[in-house]
Amino acid sequence: MSDLVLRNIGKTYDNGYQAIPSIDLTIEEGEFIVLVGPSGCGKSTLLRMVAGLESISQGDLLIKGDQVNNKEPAERDIAMVFQNYALYPHMSVYDNMAYGLKNRGEPKSEIETKVNAVAQMLGLEELLTRKPRQLSGGQRQRVAMGRAMVRDPKVFLFDEPLSNLDAKLRVQMRVEIRELQRKLGTTTLYVTHDQVEAMTLADRLVVLNKGHAEQVGTPMALYERPASTFVAQFIGSPSMNLIPSTIENGVLQLGVDSQLACPQFSTDKVMWGIRPEHVDIVPLQDADLSLQVKAVEALGAETLIHGSVKTSEDKLYPFVVRLSGNHAPDIGQPIGIRVPQQAWHVFDVVTTKRIEPL
Amino acid sequence: MCLLISDWLSLFMSVYFPQKLLPYLLLMPQLVVTAIFFLWPAGQAVEQAFYQEDAFGLSRDYVGLDNFTELFTSPEYFASLKTTMVFSFSVAFLGLAVALWLAVMADRVIRGAMVYQTLLIWPYAVAPALAGVLWWILFDPSMGPMALLLEYIGIDWNHFVNGDQAMILVVISATWKQISYNFLFFLAGLQAIPRSLIEAAAIDGAGPSKRFWDIVFPLLSPTTFFLLVVNLVYAFFETFGVIDATTQGGPGQSTTTMVYKVFNDGFVGLDLGSSAAQSVVLMVIVGLMTVVQFRYIERKVQY
Repeated sequence: MSDLVLRNIGKTYDNGYQAIPSIDLTIEEGEFIVLVGPSGCGKSTLLRMVAGLESISQGDLLIKGDQVNNKEPAERDIAMVFQNYALYPHMSVYDNMAYGLKNRGEPKSEIETKVNAVAQMLGLEELLTRKPRQLSGGQRQRVAMGRAMVRDPKVFLFDEPLSNLDAKLRVQMRVEIRELQRKLGTTTLYVTHDQVEAMTLADRLVVLNKGHAEQVGTPMALYERPASTFVAQFIGSPSMNLIPSTIENGVLQLGVDSQLACPQFSTDKVMWGIRPEHVDIVPLQDADLSLQVKAVEALGAETLIHGSVKTSEDKLYPFVVRLSGNHAPDIGQPIGIRVPQQAWHVFDVVTTKRIEPL
Repeated sequence: MCLLISDWLSLFMSVYFPQKLLPYLLLMPQLVVTAIFFLWPAGQAVEQAFYQEDAFGLSRDYVGLDNFTELFTSPEYFASLKTTMVFSFSVAFLGLAVALWLAVMADRVIRGAMVYQTLLIWPYAVAPALAGVLWWILFDPSMGPMALLLEYIGIDWNHFVNGDQAMILVVISATWKQISYNFLFFLAGLQAIPRSLIEAAAIDGAGPSKRFWDIVFPLLSPTTFFLLVVNLVYAFFETFGVIDATTQGGPGQSTTTMVYKVFNDGFVGLDLGSSAAQSVVLMVIVGLMTVVQFRYIERKVQY
């Protein structure tokens, strides 16, 4: 049975602003779903609607088959981890975790067993008597997760839980969250603006743009076959190179100096794209395309070459090449690049949707 | 220009002053004000407390601690101490409770919040004597609308003869003014509590009133404690105007607080020695309260 169903869910504020026009989403039991998108795309609003902290203007929200649109947050049997953790500052770690169980009226001994079990799982046993202000950022994060886990909810909701941590801890907690979720098997809805977090955590990703779900799918599906230029640019880092081009008589006019054989598409004007990691450097005379090098970022294991491509309309488009190992092309000089056809992505210029060869 | 500023800065920031007089000169205005308006009268009061003066101020005799012994053996003085306690704690409790309730309500208002907040702050700007007169008129037994209303529901209101009712009246008058001040602090305190805490509690299954008592109220405790001390000090020492304008300490001694008694014994009864001795006692009390306040505020009521 589907665990969490969003049917034609929409949000319109009192002032008439439509934050979310309509979203359909069916989440299976135990799935880890990540809502990802730039700020203002409605991802937090959607999460808060599921939590019951924000009213639902239209559609149905079903948790385990029950319509919960008008139920209080507490009645929905969900647990949420907030961006700032929202730990009760005047309560000890133990009381923070026990608060929800106490409100449910569970017997004291049972609360103790549950809290201790979760504390052990998260390595918090030593910290149970401490107050939140005596904890480090990572420990607070763990307590916030413990508070959510101890109630054994039907759904976990995470609202950008890692954005207050430093980069190293973020990677560590990311792995921990994924491990815990697998172990517990609880359906999870996770909001983030960080595409790396989204890619690494998700069973399925929902890319949101202005309140629309641009694409829903596994991280690899979104990476390999992005449904629109928005998804193409949002998933993957550095993001996909996109150059507006024209196709005439089976020839793709890419740069000012490059014409490539190309299958037919339903439209002549296309947005042509390729990921930085699918590009090779070749001698200029063998090149598909020439690139004016502007900057080189050597990261040790890989090198990012930032340059620009001149189109036949004499416009410059930024283009990034990602190469493994160390390379040192001359800045200001042209280099030759090869763009293998199987790595192309072609989008309709007008609708920005992905199109396939005819 | 830059050089000039830095010159001045180094002048002030260094321990060394070219002229030893300059720092004293700069402190002078504050020192003068303190000396003339506080130290000198306080010294006079302490001195006066050891003398007995005749009603016309023509002669005075040194009486040692007589003024104090008389004070501490006088049942009237202890009655005024009790009155002060009842009055002060009533004012503080009522003022805090009503202000907190108003602040919680105002915090929920989204539309026109500024209007509510501004209106609720106004009473603080009313002079104490005016506040007293206002309530005095409202509760006037023969023509006050509140008194008539009370009579209508079967309560015979006459604070000129009923001491308890007189006390209720001065408590209301004194509290009304202080509510605005408390309200401001409570509202700021409430707005400093992150919304996500309340939301987390809602998800944890706490209803609105449970959320208030479990989360909001404990988090407000530093504000509440600060206001408790401020309100007690206010009720102890700054309510002379309100009492004088409403009941003038009566009927009998029922609303004569310690501060009012200082005035009454000194300027009405013309017993300056006893009045001065009472001032000294009040000075000691205010000193103690300040110590308590600093002790706790510095340490803070922490969570």
